[in-house]
Amino acid sequence: MRAFLVLTLILALPGPAAQPRPAAPATGCVDCHLALDDARLTPPAKAFSDDIHARSGFTCVFCHGGDAAAQDQELAHDVRKGFRGRIPPRDVPEVCGRCHADVGLMKQFNPSLRVDQLSEYRSSGHGHALAKGDSSVAQCASCHGAHGVLPVKDSRSAVSPARVAQTCNRCHGDAVLMGPHKLPSDVYSKYTRSVHFKAREKGDLSAPSCNSCHGNHGAIPPEVGSVANVCGTCHAVFAEQFKLSPHWEAFKEMGLPGCVTCHENHEIVEPTEEFLGTGPSGKCSSCHEEGSPGAKAAAGMREDLLGLAAGTRAARATIRRAAEAGMEVSRATFDLGRADDALVRARADVHLLRPSAVKEIASSGLTIARSARTAGLKALAERDYRRRGLFLSLGLIVLAVAALVLKIRDIDRRPRHS
Amino acid sequence: MSGGTGLSSAEPEPPLRRPNAALGWLRDRLGWDNLTHLAAKKEVPIHRYTAFYYLGGMALFLFLVQVATGILLLLYYRPSASEAFESVQYIMAEVPFGWLIRSIHSWGANLFVGIVLLHMASVFFLKAYRAPREMTWITGALLLFIALGFGFSGYLLPWNELSFFATRVGTDVPAQIPWIGPLLSRILRGGSDVTGATLSRFYGIHVAILPAITTLLLGLHLLLVQKHGMSVPLSVRRDEDRGALRFFPDFLLRDMVGWLVAVGILAALSALLPWELGKKADPFASAPSGIRPEWYFLSMFQALKYLPAKIAGIPGETLGVFLFGLLAFVVAALPLLDPGASRERPSPWWDRLATLVLVAALALTVLALLPAGGAGR
Repeated sequence: MRAFLVLTLILALPGPAAQPRPAAPATGCVDCHLALDDARLTPPAKAFSDDIHARSGFTCVFCHGGDAAAQDQELAHDVRKGFRGRIPPRDVPEVCGRCHADVGLMKQFNPSLRVDQLSEYRSSGHGHALAKGDSSVAQCASCHGAHGVLPVKDSRSAVSPARVAQTCNRCHGDAVLMGPHKLPSDVYSKYTRSVHFKAREKGDLSAPSCNSCHGNHGAIPPEVGSVANVCGTCHAVFAEQFKLSPHWEAFKEMGLPGCVTCHENHEIVEPTEEFLGTGPSGKCSSCHEEGSPGAKAAAGMREDLLGLAAGTRAARATIRRAAEAGMEVSRATFDLGRADDALVRARADVHLLRPSAVKEIASSGLTIARSARTAGLKALAERDYRRRGLFLSLGLIVLAVAALVLKIRDIDRRPRHS
Repeated sequence: MSGGTGLSSAEPEPPLRRPNAALGWLRDRLGWDNLTHLAAKKEVPIHRYTAFYYLGGMALFLFLVQVATGILLLLYYRPSASEAFESVQYIMAEVPFGWLIRSIHSWGANLFVGIVLLHMASVFFLKAYRAPREMTWITGALLLFIALGFGFSGYLLPWNELSFFATRVGTDVPAQIPWIGPLLSRILRGGSDVTGATLSRFYGIHVAILPAITTLLLGLHLLLVQKHGMSVPLSVRRDEDRGALRFFPDFLLRDMVGWLVAVGILAALSALLPWELGKKADPFASAPSGIRPEWYFLSMFQALKYLPAKIAGIPGETLGVFLFGLLAFVVAALPLLDPGASRERPSPWWDRLATLVLVAALALTVLALLPAGGAGR
């Protein structure tokens, strides 16, 4: 866990009343610390030049106290001027919160920036542990950095959307650090196998990262009862359907955490039809025995989905062959899109856990897929018909050419009159 | 025409009672005998370049194919932004043999332009534009430009993605002409951008304006060909001259062999590689990659890409458009610019220049067809 390093300098301007000056003069702190060329004391001074706070006119003394104008180290580090040196980890949230929880102050710099980070942090797992005196947990500087703080939208920032999961993993992937907290250290590796991570790898930064489900400043695992709500912030249809299903009440009674019971939490892999069942990949066997009504219902839904998926695959292959032959299959392609939509809807309706609803939409989709395939087959038959017609036409053309050549030869053999 | 009537020669023949009386009546009034006499007298010189004479007839045949298939397409085509694509889709999918007619029209257009270019090249290198055939060449050059105009205007009519964006690029080219360019582009588009108004305009140009001009020019061109007969190349020595071929039926039958082969090629292309329709144009979508015009505009398209932004203070594209215009003028006015040919002398410098232009055009076309579309600017 990273703590703030001490910046040794001058007169203090402590407390939240300290107002930044947009055009603050260069402080002696940085000059002196750069000149020190010390492995511990110089890097913070270097990093601060690119810090969002430095760019907004804040100087070292806003956090560390002291006298920036003093030329002497003793005077600069005078405790009577509020110098506090290195800020201990347990104090970091309060130091940051002096400004970041001040609505009036923050409005001067970024009116849209939230000011509830401190109270959020206090409600987080990290905040709770810190309050109990565990200074190994993350606080503001652990994620944002101490002296090179960058805006979240800056891709170099450790908490930018593209990097936040790796930043969490710096601690949550450390078995030694997680051990005392009885937390797993393989969450990130599980997350990298998830559909969410794969979507982000393709450049979709709207796909969830750690903070999407756990919160950022108020990071805490969702409670059992709120899992469906958390997943439902993105998967709204599934969440609504699940709440209408018989599993909603049953899961609550059994204390099961909604979505993650079947889909896992971090290792959320691509769902398949095989989830529905009591087989090796099935998700139902933990509650439903083989041959039970629940298992049969799951098997029925699986068969309906597999049937529709096979139907759309067959139609797609046929239509593609026809399209590659240059046939006009736009209507069949459009119909295939409707069948694909039906498959998506049928898969979504699985969350209602009502076999009749899945069957209804799957049957309608299968009818459309079959009709599209028939149109594709018709196009292929038309292609064959055209080819037969072509060969017949070419045969007739060859015959006509032969007749013309014979006629020309015949004429050429006749004596030419002048 | 003869035929036994059973009447004595002293009696006047009642024309309407003869079996071929109707034909005779028509023949007298149409001057058929004059035509057959003309056909009987028309001859085509025989020498080692005689094969090139077939190109003109082939171009005419392909043009007639375009006219016939174009008229059939007109029966179903609807020239509006909301219906054009769907109507072509309907022609391809629902109209009996609509796919064949549309594919022949599309493939035929390309074959037609190719044959016209070959015809022009052969006429150039055989110096067939020598006096007194200057006007034959000039009308032919104008017909070539009109053929390109047919290609350009027809390309937009299916209103698909590729044609829409290619037309947007193409109609931007005249805007590079100083002073009048923007107005020309606006007139061509019927507005500031390619819209349904452009489609209506191009349709009118394609099916009315260009056909009307073509009819006049083609009539004049053919008339001049009949009047002056076939030109014998300068390079053909007298001792090589093997006489002449009667146009009817000897040459015409050979022509027909070529036409039948052309029909076979068109049928094969249409059945095996039906002309694609693509996606409907969406004016609000971004231009897809690989936008390019038809192959006969590719050399110009590629040349414009290579031109630097400014040449001696003049915008590169403006200079490019000026050079294309100059080239078109030189091609059309060639008989007047080649004094050697009018004096029955070879013109090697013109031959070298033309070869250079053709090789450059071919190289630019190949570069444009490469997967990356050549190294653009």
